[in-house]
Amino acid sequence: MATELLMPKLGLTMTEGTIDEWKKKVGDTVQKGEILYSVATDKLTNDVEAEDDGVLLKIVVPEGETVPCRTLVGWLGAKGEAVPDGAAPAAAPAGAAPAAEAPAAAPVKAAGAYVPATPYAKKLAKEKGFELAQIPATGYRGVVVAKDVLAYTPAAAAPAEPAVKASPLAAKLAADLGIDLGTVNAHGRVLAQDILAYLESTREKAEPAADAREEVKPMSGMRKAIAKNMLASVQTSPTVTFNLSVDMSEMKRYREQLKAREIKVSYTDLLVRFVAKALTEFPLLNCSVEDNKIVYKHYVNMGVAVALDSGLLVPNIQDADKKSLTQISAEVKELAKQAREGKLPPEKLRGGTFTITNLGMYGIESFTPIINQPEVAILGVNTMEDKVVVRNGETVIRPMMNLSLTADHRVVDGSVAAQFLQRVKSLLENPALMLA
Amino acid sequence: MTESRTGRQGPDIYTKYYLSSTKGVRTLPESVTREQARKFYETMCTIRCFEESVKRDFLNGEIPGFVHLYIGEEAIGTGICAALRDTDLIESTHRGHGHCIAKGADVNKMMAEIFGKKDGLCHGKGGSMHIADFSVGMLGANGVVGGGYNLATGAALANKMVLKNDTVSVVFFGDGASNRGTFHEAANVAAAWKLPVIFVNEMNCWASTTPYRTTTAVENISDRAKGYNMPGVIVDGQNVFEVYQAAAEAVARARRGEGPTFIEAKTYRIEGHFVGDPELYRKKEETMEIFHRTDPLKLFKIQCPEGMVFEQEELDGILAAAKEKIAKAKEYAVSCEYPDPSEFLTDVYAE
Amino acid sequence: MRKITFSEATREAMAEEMEKYPECFVMGEDIARQGGIFGQFKGLPAEFPGRVIDTPISETFIVGGGVGAALAGARPVVDMHFADFIGVAMDEVFNQMAKVRYMFGGQARIPLVLRAPDGLAGGGAAQHSQSVESWFIHIPGIKVVAPSNPYDAKMVLKAAIESDDPVLYFENKVLYKESGEVPEKEDEVPYEIGKARVEREGRDVTIVSYSIGMKNARAAADMLARDGIEAEVIDLITLSPWDKACVLDSVKKTHRLCLVSECVKQGGALAEVAAVVAEEGLEYLDAPILRYGAPFTPIPFAPTLEKMYRVYPEDLVKGIKAVL
Repeated sequence: MATELLMPKLGLTMTEGTIDEWKKKVGDTVQKGEILYSVATDKLTNDVEAEDDGVLLKIVVPEGETVPCRTLVGWLGAKGEAVPDGAAPAAAPAGAAPAAEAPAAAPVKAAGAYVPATPYAKKLAKEKGFELAQIPATGYRGVVVAKDVLAYTPAAAAPAEPAVKASPLAAKLAADLGIDLGTVNAHGRVLAQDILAYLESTREKAEPAADAREEVKPMSGMRKAIAKNMLASVQTSPTVTFNLSVDMSEMKRYREQLKAREIKVSYTDLLVRFVAKALTEFPLLNCSVEDNKIVYKHYVNMGVAVALDSGLLVPNIQDADKKSLTQISAEVKELAKQAREGKLPPEKLRGGTFTITNLGMYGIESFTPIINQPEVAILGVNTMEDKVVVRNGETVIRPMMNLSLTADHRVVDGSVAAQFLQRVKSLLENPALMLA
Repeated sequence: MTESRTGRQGPDIYTKYYLSSTKGVRTLPESVTREQARKFYETMCTIRCFEESVKRDFLNGEIPGFVHLYIGEEAIGTGICAALRDTDLIESTHRGHGHCIAKGADVNKMMAEIFGKKDGLCHGKGGSMHIADFSVGMLGANGVVGGGYNLATGAALANKMVLKNDTVSVVFFGDGASNRGTFHEAANVAAAWKLPVIFVNEMNCWASTTPYRTTTAVENISDRAKGYNMPGVIVDGQNVFEVYQAAAEAVARARRGEGPTFIEAKTYRIEGHFVGDPELYRKKEETMEIFHRTDPLKLFKIQCPEGMVFEQEELDGILAAAKEKIAKAKEYAVSCEYPDPSEFLTDVYAE
Repeated sequence: MRKITFSEATREAMAEEMEKYPECFVMGEDIARQGGIFGQFKGLPAEFPGRVIDTPISETFIVGGGVGAALAGARPVVDMHFADFIGVAMDEVFNQMAKVRYMFGGQARIPLVLRAPDGLAGGGAAQHSQSVESWFIHIPGIKVVAPSNPYDAKMVLKAAIESDDPVLYFENKVLYKESGEVPEKEDEVPYEIGKARVEREGRDVTIVSYSIGMKNARAAADMLARDGIEAEVIDLITLSPWDKACVLDSVKKTHRLCLVSECVKQGGALAEVAAVVAEEGLEYLDAPILRYGAPFTPIPFAPTLEKMYRVYPEDLVKGIKAVL
């Protein structure tokens, strides 16, 4: 019997995933353990392995489409076997049922699930190339009506030329590349490959002799996720970056004392612990903004940016304000390792309340980090260098390090950010205060 | 005993009438010419041959639907219609082939209609039960038993009171139909307004499968005529001369503006209600015995007015000619095409 | 413009047609001496002696006789007293009047009008208040009309009499007394059977009705307009064969359809409109089709219950607002 391939739920908090790439074509023979397709979540791309031998019979969800967990994405079975008609996912995704009682809540429905819509709304959506499931419903009995379709703008589609039908991926690509969908040649619906072909053709016209000097590659799922998140962050938060120089002499000494006792911690580990302490005193730096409301978090999940060849991940250390330095140290090491191996549990990527990003190893002296939404601040850590400073009227040499704090001015005013940064500085320069 | 009581109530009443009626009770019109009489016989033969042909072809599966035969009752339609003008109107019944032929319809086009062909009188849309030929005043057979009274009476009303002419309407109906309420409404109006309509009751003893006596209390249906202050006349339905004479008198009365007449023609239904009727309600031998005694074709010769003589040879010749005419009608009907699908939606409305 | 009542308008139509066609006559119960129980035939017998005929209480004859008269070449109008009584003559309507032309292959011509006063009349109860038009739209071979105002009453009746097909003319008892503008004869615009009229243009919802139901349609449109909702109001006028194009064009514009009539909602005349819009215009609908009509019950006598039997414009307004 044909087996349903369902969008996996990769961790507790994952609700939906995007098919990044099908590694097999319909008709390909697949062995148990072979990679069938990759799934991109917000920040992570996971490979999904075949659980049985068989043949990929059908792809239900094409590349680039996002569906809720447990949604049918394809069929695996014996060669030549028929796929059940109109088969529904074994388990209806819990979040997929339209919220009939609360049309105002405008739930976005699961792709694949039946979307109640008026015939006219369906006709309009089809003409505009919209996925009904993506259109918030406000009609009677929670039905998508014409005005919902008319009011709907797909997140990434170019607002111009809505009449051109395009796959979501193509629409997104076109938007990213600034290409007018209407100018792209396609047989029917514009697909991603049509956009790429178009790009190729315009390049040829512009630089006929330079065809080998550029190369176009589609973004990986992770790249797309980063692009999307960074753009969204910049569009969401009005930010101010504050720089402050910190004397790291005490930290240096502290680290050496620990080292002498066989406890190895990095400056990042130390920063995680000390900044977590400061955050408990400045709740405005440890909050998020939702619908004109401020959500204060009575815990500190400290995100630590991990650079990878393929991009950037920000796993977080949960309850960093309550953990010991050694616990933190061990956890940071493990998270970095998992991130590099692509085995980071997705829940480690969710629920952060503040982020530390360290570029000190590259000699960076100052930068303006971008907030990891929905957090409201991020602390950039720069290189530590011995510098001549004046202490008590004398010039002395001290290990100095710049901190670059970017904060969301919607909730964090300059004075608050400055006081917070000042507090971090005092803690780092006077570790005894940690116990005060 | 018990069985025969229910089973014999139809024939009983007919036999009783027939045995008591003797030739020459009524004074036959001297005005009937030999040529007219010959025409009576010819019409009756045409009807007989037509019905026999239809019966055969229906049983052979060549005719769709269902058909009701007039065999044995030919003298009634023939005698009545002979007294009418072409412009006079008749309302017929489901057992209407005889009326249609007697009123002068073309047998080729009739047969084509019964075969459902586009060259039929109704272009294949009516069939046996809804055969009509407005060009000879035949306003149609009626699939609804008792459906014709009001139509004939309305036509009479229009002719007399609105169109101001002397056209006469005739409605044929059986003893079964006489129990419809529509008879009462039409007869009452016709009599009240002295409309030129003739109610011709073909009293053939059977309402489909039910014998007359089991559903009706009056001895003669025409007894009811006096309830409407309308003359009720009983005639031997097997005697074309007698029928003709009663019809001629009723027509004259109607044209004089004296109102309707009820003519009850005593007859007997020889065939089943429809072709294929298993006739579980009566005995075939009994029916055939009655037919042998009362066949109007056989009796014609002895019913002729005094001094009018037909040699058997001449009569046989007329029958043979009728047979040939019907054979050709059948050939014609078979050769015609079925209606074109484009005609399917025509004639629903005039506009 | 002069104003006359619906009843007078029908009388004028009769007089003009009887003048035009010497073969035209009218028969029914209580129409000559009494002038019709609603006065709709008043004065006609004097104008046309012998052509306005009081019949006995014989509905099968009134209708069947009308069919026979038409077959004989007359142009009869027959009156049913109350529409409720057509049932008595149902065979004459659907097996004779409706069929003779088709089953005789076009030999017959039935220029017959059956007039049938219908509708709630205040205490008429179960057998004198019904609206039975929906029975007849199921019958090919007859045409069904139901005007909603005096001008239409006149023009539709004239068209019905002039038609060579049998026409059932439903005239609402309450509307008889209502006045409306009717132009002089020389300014009249003939009515073409089968045409609906967009009585009011709008873009938000199409309200379709006919006869007395139009009062609800108009009132609801007025109420909606006060809230900035523009209803398009269509008077169907002819229920069979009805103007599909007019309704479909309107639905293509408004994307919403509301149907209202006084007859029983189940199997009502406008159920056919709903069905056809669903068949041929589904993709233009942006809301479920709304239908308003009487409940599935005989018409009660008590005034309190009869009140509940009726449809009110507020019902339409509420329903329409819920799907906007």
